[in-house]
Amino acid sequence: MHRENRKKFEEIVESFVELKDTSELMIDLAYSSLLLDSKELADDVEKLEEHVDQLHTDFELLVLSSKFKPEEAKGLLGLIRLGVAAEKIADAAAEIAEVVLRGVEPHPVLKLAIEEAEETVTYTRVTENSPLVNKTLREARIPEETGMWVLAIRRAGKYIRPKPGTKIENGDVLIASGYAEGEEDLKKLASP
Amino acid sequence: MSHPLEKIEYKPISVRKLLVEMKNLSELMIDLAYSAALFNDKELAEEVLELENRVDVLAYLLNMEIMIAARDSKDAEALVGVSVVASATDKISDAAADIAAVVTQKIGIHPIVSEIFRKVEERLTRVKVYEDSVLAAKTIDELDLAARMGVDIIAIRRDKEWIIDPGEKEQIKPGDILIARGAPEGIKEFKELAEAKLKKLED
Repeated sequence: MHRENRKKFEEIVESFVELKDTSELMIDLAYSSLLLDSKELADDVEKLEEHVDQLHTDFELLVLSSKFKPEEAKGLLGLIRLGVAAEKIADAAAEIAEVVLRGVEPHPVLKLAIEEAEETVTYTRVTENSPLVNKTLREARIPEETGMWVLAIRRAGKYIRPKPGTKIENGDVLIASGYAEGEEDLKKLASP
Repeated sequence: MSHPLEKIEYKPISVRKLLVEMKNLSELMIDLAYSAALFNDKELAEEVLELENRVDVLAYLLNMEIMIAARDSKDAEALVGVSVVASATDKISDAAADIAAVVTQKIGIHPIVSEIFRKVEERLTRVKVYEDSVLAAKTIDELDLAARMGVDIIAIRRDKEWIIDPGEKEQIKPGDILIARGAPEGIKEFKELAEAKLKKLED
């Protein structure tokens, strides 16, 4: 395998993983929008859905413009199909969020079901006195401390995809997922 | 269609229970399906297709419950959201089945692509339990990996069979192949525990 080819593959996979991660984040956000009956969150899901459409198009164009040999093409067809599935997941998440946007009062049974499901999503604002302020996610060791992992950081109305080097700021909202046990630990850490 | 579809008869199950199971299954299926694709595991992919059947049955049952519950226009307005959400989870499970089909239909993913993919994807792992691993001979309940490191074992491969979403009482055995999901740091630790590079389970 030529080095040039490998770089091409790397670029394609990275593009796909962003598509995949965003679609999964959307599911969590969509259920949360229902649970909290939050139009704001539901709105974010809709915006992310448009973003996913763009990511999907970019990903497909990247694959198509990469001029692969026939024997390589089959292996990439698999990835293209995965991309289509990721977009379908994003669409399903948007449909969940639309229930909130249409002003349908979420039926109590929906809230019960989401609360009872194994994983929870939690929103925690980072306050000034938190030890997390000015630390990178790598330094903050949130999963080790709490068992929760940060799905996204909401800062000034925008979503930031967390990377190990991302610095946590005062006022950030950490959107984290995990098992219910960790929720309180995270709250103590972020807003002591 | 390779096998006939079963007739679905009404059973009284609460809407809440049906929804919880549909939500959990659909999310589990996404992780299992991507794992099947990442590790090119045809049998795991087939398990995903089985689960898809189960979600379909649950969706039918849920729709029946909703129909029975709605007596007037007010009820209908209150319940339509439940129906939309259930159909969305059904769609998510369909998407997972599409991912699994890439493996079962032998389209597959380029080996270099899956190698890079495994490197970038830090939330899923597939690992073999070594003889001297601290995980061996412990139940899922005893290990309490969720609270310890934010890791969840979603499937166990043992004696040529997959155990999907193992229960609390399931005991890990040496030689098991485990598929787990969770926080990247937790996943790293979990892998080291399974391969006996790390010998102690910390609290």
